[in-house]
Amino acid sequence: MNARKIFIIAIILSYTNTFADTAIENNSTATSAISSSDVNLTNENNTSITNTTSFEEEFGDTSQTAVFDPFSGYNKFMTNVNDKFYKNIADPIATGYANILPEKARISVNNLFHHLRFPIRLANNLLQFKIKNSAEETGRFVVNTIFGLGGLFDPAKTDLGWERHDEDLGQTLGFYGLPDGPYIVLPILGSSNLRDTVGLVGDTYISPLYSADADNLCYKIPQNTGQDILIASVELINKTSLHLGEYDLIKKDALDLYAFLRDAYTQQRRQKIKE
Amino acid sequence: MRTISKLLKLFLILAVFSIPSFALRQNEIEPVMQNKIEKVLAVLKKKESNTVRGQEIIRTMDPVFDYALMAKLALSSKTWGSISSAQQKEFTKLFIARLKQSYLDKLDLYNNQKVIYKGVKPYQKGRLQLQTEVVGKDETYKINYNFHNSKNNGNWLIYDVELAGVSIIQTYRQQFAGLLKEKSFDEILTQLRKNQPLKTKQS
Repeated sequence: MNARKIFIIAIILSYTNTFADTAIENNSTATSAISSSDVNLTNENNTSITNTTSFEEEFGDTSQTAVFDPFSGYNKFMTNVNDKFYKNIADPIATGYANILPEKARISVNNLFHHLRFPIRLANNLLQFKIKNSAEETGRFVVNTIFGLGGLFDPAKTDLGWERHDEDLGQTLGFYGLPDGPYIVLPILGSSNLRDTVGLVGDTYISPLYSADADNLCYKIPQNTGQDILIASVELINKTSLHLGEYDLIKKDALDLYAFLRDAYTQQRRQKIKE
Repeated sequence: MRTISKLLKLFLILAVFSIPSFALRQNEIEPVMQNKIEKVLAVLKKKESNTVRGQEIIRTMDPVFDYALMAKLALSSKTWGSISSAQQKEFTKLFIARLKQSYLDKLDLYNNQKVIYKGVKPYQKGRLQLQTEVVGKDETYKINYNFHNSKNNGNWLIYDVELAGVSIIQTYRQQFAGLLKEKSFDEILTQLRKNQPLKTKQS
């Protein structure tokens, strides 16, 4: 009786494997993974919902994966302030701006801002030893400066397929093993954490779009705080105009907006550091 | 020897018939999903009411989602085990409606962006991930569909979707875990019922 059972199971296994091994580029890992999951067959072939233990491992215990948040009082307050700021100031201005300026022009403005942040991306790609990406970034800067009218267009991506490699100091610090630190909601900028806030300060220092140390660094565009604010405002409104409606959807989607933003930010940053 | 080969034949026949007609095989994940996604994008371009388009989109995508598992995972198995079966049933119904509505809402933002298919890669613990990219105005978003071998019968179903590195199931887990610290499960059900977006009959 038992031998027959085993025989039947063996047939089922070989049957499923005939499908398994025809597929997938990474054959070795895929098939080995398949056969290990097939073992479960013996103990759960009658429930409609599969054994969730391995899924629980994937997602982790919520009490342990919860984001470290000692400043939740302040953070909730600031999330609220930012929400009001977005709803009453940024969104209406960006909507009006989008009605005046065609999308193509706004994308070009956005390209220009990305273009000017090249030093930040290059520095952080290099700091993480991403040599190929650093080379591509440099190539992008040269190509887009010459053939993209000084960065208004992105022929490096559209014609050559060289993607932008966003890296910032927060990611670099994460790459070197610095943990997230407590979650912090920054005014206007929104979700961050201690590590990324430190990173932001560092990036801002070398950013051409911020006047810090403008006397010594000749590539700085703004020369004083007034010009800093002006440039930052234009960027904020322009960027918002390219993402209209997205925040409202997130708000609608979230059962608890604060927890949603906090968790989504943390997941996204960890993913970016991993890449 | 003859009996063995007979048995084998019988078994193969049985196995073929036991597979549901919509079963998604491992090697079909990419072409079938590509087909479905393109179909959804085509529906979006149709000049029909949102309800009609929404129904058509949901009909296209329904067979590849393991909704029951998603509901359970969103709540975490621990919480799931602590509630009554009536609560489980209602939660699943409300949660699935919410997921579908959220998917349809997101499609509203779609504006002819290009979808790039990056192939199916092995993922955690024998599971698979279909990786796609949507080229947006500002940046390229990664959208990954995570599949598991449902009931291990070779029918691959989606149990999670990652948008730009954010797992939908994980965000729900964290939100529910947080909410459960302050509220009872019934209060959460009430909240879900209240912003019940799809027009399902309230029973």
